[in-house]
Amino acid sequence: MKSVIIGQYIPGKGIFYKLDPRTKIVAVLLLMISIFLLENIYQLLIALGVALVMLVIGRIPVIKVIKGLKPIFILLIFTFVFQILLNKEGALLVEEDMFITEFGALAILVLFIFWRILTKVIRYRLLLFLGFLVGIFLILTKIQFENNLIEPFVFRVYEQGVRMSVFVVIRLLIIITLSTVLTLTTKPTDLTQGLERLMHPLKRIGFNSDDFALIISISLRYIPTIFDEANKIMLAQASRGADFSEGKLKDKLKQVIALLVPMFIIAFIRSEELANAMESRNFVPGNPRTRINELNFSYRDVFASTFSLIVLVLTIVLKVI
Amino acid sequence: MGIRFNKVSHDYSSFSEGLYTAIKNIDLSITEKHEFIALVGQTGSGKSTLAKHMNALIFPTSGNLEIYGNIITSKRNRKISYNDIRRKVGLVFQFPEYQLFEETVEKDIMFGPLNFKMPVEKAKSLAKNALSLVGLDDGYLSRSPYNLSGGEKKRVSIAGILAMDPEILVLDEPTSGLDPAGKRVLMDLFKNINEQTGKTIVIITHDMDLVYEYFNRVLVMNKGNMVYDGEPESLFKQENLRDYHLDLPNTIKVLTHLNNKMQLKLNIFQRTNELALKEIERVIGL
Repeated sequence: MKSVIIGQYIPGKGIFYKLDPRTKIVAVLLLMISIFLLENIYQLLIALGVALVMLVIGRIPVIKVIKGLKPIFILLIFTFVFQILLNKEGALLVEEDMFITEFGALAILVLFIFWRILTKVIRYRLLLFLGFLVGIFLILTKIQFENNLIEPFVFRVYEQGVRMSVFVVIRLLIIITLSTVLTLTTKPTDLTQGLERLMHPLKRIGFNSDDFALIISISLRYIPTIFDEANKIMLAQASRGADFSEGKLKDKLKQVIALLVPMFIIAFIRSEELANAMESRNFVPGNPRTRINELNFSYRDVFASTFSLIVLVLTIVLKVI
Repeated sequence: MGIRFNKVSHDYSSFSEGLYTAIKNIDLSITEKHEFIALVGQTGSGKSTLAKHMNALIFPTSGNLEIYGNIITSKRNRKISYNDIRRKVGLVFQFPEYQLFEETVEKDIMFGPLNFKMPVEKAKSLAKNALSLVGLDDGYLSRSPYNLSGGEKKRVSIAGILAMDPEILVLDEPTSGLDPAGKRVLMDLFKNINEQTGKTIVIITHDMDLVYEYFNRVLVMNKGNMVYDGEPESLFKQENLRDYHLDLPNTIKVLTHLNNKMQLKLNIFQRTNELALKEIERVIGL
């Protein structure tokens, strides 16, 4: 579970580490709004370039980040494919007749087996998967015989579909990069303190930002712990013959219960212990608390917020023109 | 047969801290019969990681190990039934909270045997048997595992593994959190199982008194390395015991102290308190 990078903090020294969390939260928000306002593909590409340059300036280990974002890429591919298939606006770009024949079905089966075997041997699974998809597409369009299993259908790609899918993917990429920069360079405690300060004005309408920040920071604090516990429970039950990767579906359901019940019990025990520990250190809900490290703005914050403001203003100007 | 480690290392990796090597180049051989082994070392020295390799719960990062003829490497092998290995090598975890989940103690103990496809009736009798072995009476069978005391939970979790009738038994700190009498009951139980059925038992512990009194083979882990494998007595003769964050058993400490203060010539290597007392009586001439 430690291989997923989203939401993780990695200690480091770049410029983003020195920024005030409030600045970072506001800047990321402003930049995200700008990304959604951009409607030109070139502008979006420039924005993507700027986001990548930011990673380099902030001395963030890009390769490490990309490796950690692997699950996100699968999501990106899905959104891309769905956009292309389902959006039927604009000019027609591709029109191919698809044939499903006995020979084609057999070829797909062979291709499937070939792909599964290759994934065992070669490491680039994503590339293989893409190759597999392209292979299916080729088989469906190129192999034509008399004996169709079902009626041939037409595969159409429209201009708007391609446009939108490229847009969505680039937008998502930029947003993921921005939010990763935020969580990667900000300690969870700083992040919640920043949120708390930013939401402070909401107190006037009865929203208690202190409690909210406390809830968030405790939940963030316990995510890795809960993962850890889940892992330990899984090992303990595997020791008693409940291996989650062997056995039938019916056995697996039973094994899920064997995982979930101890999870809940341990979570309750933990929360009770935490409540006791907080109370014995004189925590009183609702009372004002002081901080060891107060947040301070510096010239870097002025720079960063000006930069994001300029970007936002620019995008609005571009949109109006 | 049994378990054999060949140059086994295991790394844990995380984004924030990078690689952490828990155990390094371990060579170790445990025969399947008649061994009674203590595994000691300071916290974080890799004892638990070593134990988790013994029933293939985790795989070595490099090197390999052989468990009952199955070669375990860093990759999962479809031809090996890991469940079968786990039935043969039973591992009891340190904290019972991680495994108790059923409504009753009986059902919880039956979980293991049922997973290994034993008939329900047989599992029931095994559960009853295992529970009495760990010193709890039949009244506990219908109780909820969550309303038990810490020590009772611990015994139920041990019974859950005993009911699987493993050929090798590995226990991670089975005596921690128990009162002194409870400790002895459990240690006597393990010793009995070992002597009567010949099952090999590996126990992780911090209690050097227990180590000296009960075991004839000790493994010492220090910072991921195995630094000692042999008799307890020659371990206690070593100078660098403190470097491993280990302590001498109380009998040796007291007898050494008496020797120094009263210029006696006691044989300090006495495994139990009773033997130590006899030695003192012999020398003083009571």
